[in-house]
Amino acid sequence: MSAAPPDSTGPALDVRGLSKTYRTGLFQKKKGRPALKGLDLTVQRGEILGYLGPNGSGKTTTLKILMGLVFPDRGTGTVLGYPLGDRAWRHRAGYLPEQPYFYDYLTAREYLDYAGHLFGLSASVRRERTGRLLERVGLRRSAGVPLRRFSKGMMQRVGIAQALINDPELVILDEPMSGLDPIGRRLVRDIILGLRDEGKAVLFSTHILSDAEALCDRVALLRGGALLRVGDLAGILGSDVSHMEILVAGLGREVVDRLAPALKASHPLGERWRLEAGEESLASIVRQVEEAGGRVLSIQPVRQSLEDYFIREMGERTEDGWELEG
Amino acid sequence: MGAGRLARVWAVAANTFRETVRERVLYNLVFFAVIMTLAGLLMGQLSIRQDEKIIKDIGLASMELFGTLIAIFIGVGMVAKEIERRSLHPLLAKPLSRDEFFLGKFAGLGFTLLVNVGLMSAGLALTLAGTGRRVDLHLLKAIYPIYLGLLLVVALALLFSTVTSSALAAVFTVGLVVAGRFSDVIRNMREVAPNAPSWLVGFLYYALPNFRNFDFKDRVAYGDPVPLAAMGLVTAYAAVYIGVVLLMGLAAFRSRELS
Repeated sequence: MSAAPPDSTGPALDVRGLSKTYRTGLFQKKKGRPALKGLDLTVQRGEILGYLGPNGSGKTTTLKILMGLVFPDRGTGTVLGYPLGDRAWRHRAGYLPEQPYFYDYLTAREYLDYAGHLFGLSASVRRERTGRLLERVGLRRSAGVPLRRFSKGMMQRVGIAQALINDPELVILDEPMSGLDPIGRRLVRDIILGLRDEGKAVLFSTHILSDAEALCDRVALLRGGALLRVGDLAGILGSDVSHMEILVAGLGREVVDRLAPALKASHPLGERWRLEAGEESLASIVRQVEEAGGRVLSIQPVRQSLEDYFIREMGERTEDGWELEG
Repeated sequence: MGAGRLARVWAVAANTFRETVRERVLYNLVFFAVIMTLAGLLMGQLSIRQDEKIIKDIGLASMELFGTLIAIFIGVGMVAKEIERRSLHPLLAKPLSRDEFFLGKFAGLGFTLLVNVGLMSAGLALTLAGTGRRVDLHLLKAIYPIYLGLLLVVALALLFSTVTSSALAAVFTVGLVVAGRFSDVIRNMREVAPNAPSWLVGFLYYALPNFRNFDFKDRVAYGDPVPLAAMGLVTAYAAVYIGVVLLMGLAAFRSRELS
């Protein structure tokens, strides 16, 4: 096993100025568009950091650089107190790649045992952890089934189990919810929250913003290979109410049209209407609805969601709708 | 190499052996090799006074041919397939280094071939014994160099497997093995192409792997003496050539981006 790290109190992960441009062409001479541009990123111990960005924004490239699968053009960093290029920290980290593929001639139990071997774990520890992790990801009954018979979601859960076989202090997950059904997503959410409760740091990339909102202490938003924003969700989204949502019944379209100047939006819901308005015009709208014979069923303050923020910051409105470009 | 590194190389080698055993292609090739041995037996019965030589000849030739096919067609996929399928990514994220992975793959496939050659040797010995012919240890002086040649084929297949796709790696490896089998043609190239520069002919002759160095089949089948010094020389040749090819493969694999 590796020696004690030089700094066991600093951040779990701290990278500075990571840059990467992939080369293309037969002799890898031609430079493509930069995949990462001077990325600075920190993950504290015991926190869950969501790594968000549209396709091609550089999320997977970042994680592959961290794991030594691709090489950065520039940049430096530390992981669990070790220099980024030092393999010693691998003993204490776990990684789930995007769309993982595992040897399909092995069973889930055999694959986890093999992964444990690579960490130098003893046979008894491998056996104990394999059983416990397969239970934790809901695959205990399929432990002896060859992986070629596994669904995509089951394969994803094997991937999460192999990332945890060494009881890591830092877990890096690339799109962990990909291919999972709602039950699988809930299970993985619980695992990620459980890891934080155990004091571990989790860095995960995702496209599913509701998962990021539900899980993350902080999020980092990446666009075009550069960090757009990083911070806690309240700081990014703000705690202010963006608008009020009023659910009304018994109104004709002509009344709603008359209210339009005071509304931000209106949506018919069968016999009802969902009206969106600023806080300042709420009293006037309620009065006009009641005067027109309508009924106010509910009034709710609405805060900006991560999805609203993401679309606003990442998207570009075109004639055909929203376009996301990394 | 520390105990941890050795344990990881061993883990990869053991898993590689398990993979080849579970791949049906290995069984198919062994099956065809048995068929070839039986064919040798049949031809031996048709040949007057040459039966023992023919059985040995065909048995050793099938061992070499099918061993080469296994070495190439499993070897070229060893790294390339892992890169294409990305099954390598979760492994290299662990303490396993690229060098350990590469050497583990070589060791695993080398062991697979050892088992394969062992089984086919046992088949040949049984064929000889079952038909009342003499089984002598002299056969090992042909089998051992065949195995060394197969290890060289594996090293070449792994080298190409790290730099290109499985299909191209197969083409390059087959090309080199064929060129190496006909190295005497390269040496005598100037007889048919007098304008070929002598330095180029010399370079090709010495740089390409000379698989004829591993061929003791005829001498053993005819019962000609094979001195131990010849075994020493072929071992040294194999060790140097395999070492250089593995170092080239390691260098290529270390710098390969797995994007």
